[in-house]
Amino acid sequence: MSAVRQSGSGVFSMNGREWSLLVACLLAIAIFSVASPHYATPGNAVTVLRNSVELLLIGLGMTLLLAMGGIDVSIGIVMGLAAIAIGRIVGADGSPFVALVAGPLVGALLGCVTAAVVVLGRVPAIVGTLGLLGVYRTAVFALLGGQWLSGLPSSLTDLLATTVLGIPVPALVIAVAYLTVWLALRRTPYGLHLLAIGNSEEKARLSGIPVIKVRFLTFVISGVLTGIAATFYVATYRNVEMSIGSTSALDAIAAVILGGTSILGGRCSLLGTVLGVLLLRILQNGLLLIGVPSLWQPVVTGVLVIGVLGFEAVSNRLPLTRFQRARA
Amino acid sequence: MTAPFLVARNIAKRFGALTALADVDLEIRPGEVLALLGDNGAGKSTFIKILAGAHPPSDGELLIEGKAVAFASPKDAAASGIATIFQELALSENLSIAENVFLGRELKRSIFGIPFLKRAEMRQRVDGLLQELDAHISDPEAPVGSLSGGQRQAVAICRALNLNARLVIMDEPTAALAVAETRKVLALTRRLAGRGCAVVLISHNISEVFEVADRIVVFRRGRKVAERLAAETNHEEVVSLITGAHPDVRALEKTN
Repeated sequence: MSAVRQSGSGVFSMNGREWSLLVACLLAIAIFSVASPHYATPGNAVTVLRNSVELLLIGLGMTLLLAMGGIDVSIGIVMGLAAIAIGRIVGADGSPFVALVAGPLVGALLGCVTAAVVVLGRVPAIVGTLGLLGVYRTAVFALLGGQWLSGLPSSLTDLLATTVLGIPVPALVIAVAYLTVWLALRRTPYGLHLLAIGNSEEKARLSGIPVIKVRFLTFVISGVLTGIAATFYVATYRNVEMSIGSTSALDAIAAVILGGTSILGGRCSLLGTVLGVLLLRILQNGLLLIGVPSLWQPVVTGVLVIGVLGFEAVSNRLPLTRFQRARA
Repeated sequence: MTAPFLVARNIAKRFGALTALADVDLEIRPGEVLALLGDNGAGKSTFIKILAGAHPPSDGELLIEGKAVAFASPKDAAASGIATIFQELALSENLSIAENVFLGRELKRSIFGIPFLKRAEMRQRVDGLLQELDAHISDPEAPVGSLSGGQRQAVAICRALNLNARLVIMDEPTAALAVAETRKVLALTRRLAGRGCAVVLISHNISEVFEVADRIVVFRRGRKVAERLAAETNHEEVVSLITGAHPDVRALEKTN
């Protein structure tokens, strides 16, 4: 329980889980550095960070969703749909500034659709978003006509590859997103309400919290963050492939759970999510460099999630943890 | 004697053909602990649900400070100053004491149109309330999940006080508590009344009732069968009123 308080007390204050993640990251880096001569280079460090951008943004939204007792398994394909919209604008030589607006806008709209199904339609989030995943996957296929959206001009890339005051734009955007989400979660009534809903929706309602409003808004926020992620995706790769975002939901949920957010809701760590994303990307990159085929990446992610949840389930069953003693 | 905060007149509640409550007249006064006693199914719960705005009465009227009121929801009742602390406390275990006390009615300041929590101020207010209640909770930042059952009752009482409740209804607050904890909650109940709050206490424990209540009302089969000042009755009489062995109750039940 002390994790709840510590995560809330400062923007970057660390609890035990977060320290362990940091140690795990450093350990992985040390091992890969020994195992591969190509690993410990500045270029590779930039690659790992670069590969983390979209997942960091999606992960922040997913943290809010899980903390609220929700989930969105369609999030990767939402990024795909937003990427197609951005790609079409950039491809038609539209203004890159219009493309900048299009991502968050499409994300927000799709967030509204998800919220309509899950919140207003009262379909359990896991089932509702799984259904949307099927629908959207086909929509992506139909929109792309079975082909990659490729050879996009570099207008958006040029815009986002710049630096402001010496800081790369992606780093700046992530810093702003992190701070905004942190403030919303830890310093506004919205964040308090979200955590109360994650603990028990019924009790939250009895306490006079506008449950529907808070849940709806959270799906929209997650959509907006995913739309921003899509913008960076298009800017980086300058194409949209058919399988876009197929591992994003697994990666995001894995990173959030690794970070110490409860799958049952009510407890979360944004810093943990950031470290969880970095650990995933460090492992994926490192395994690739020591010659493990990328096909194995989802296996590693999946095993990590199952391992962490399994470990938590077992440790919760042990009789006398400090927390339980304090409650007794 | 002070004017009653709430007056219930001829309150009745029917669920289809079943009459759960009939002809209940009751006055609840500020600064007084009123105990509702009765067997299971006697109508106590139905009655407090009407007071809490959870059920509309089928008949009769409720007056608050002389004015007739009709509650469409628990929110209406809360707006009239009635707070109900249900047995299953509606507290969020993952949030702190201060957050729970203010949940749904946070103090906030607007910066660029965005509402931010006034955390220091809320903490201070809760600190003050906890001290006033002598609740023996030192840290308003502690998560409610780490508290004992009695301390959680204290938090629920703080929440009611913070909502400026004038009438606090407590549904078996000590049912799940150990002896020492029960003592503390009973002391809290007394202090609540000492602050000028009207308190309605539901309990199955008669000696507990004698310890805190000023007045005792007994329900039986959906009717109010007796009302006594705690100082003018005793354990045996109350038991006979509850079970129906008391001559007054027999006479009443014959005429009905």
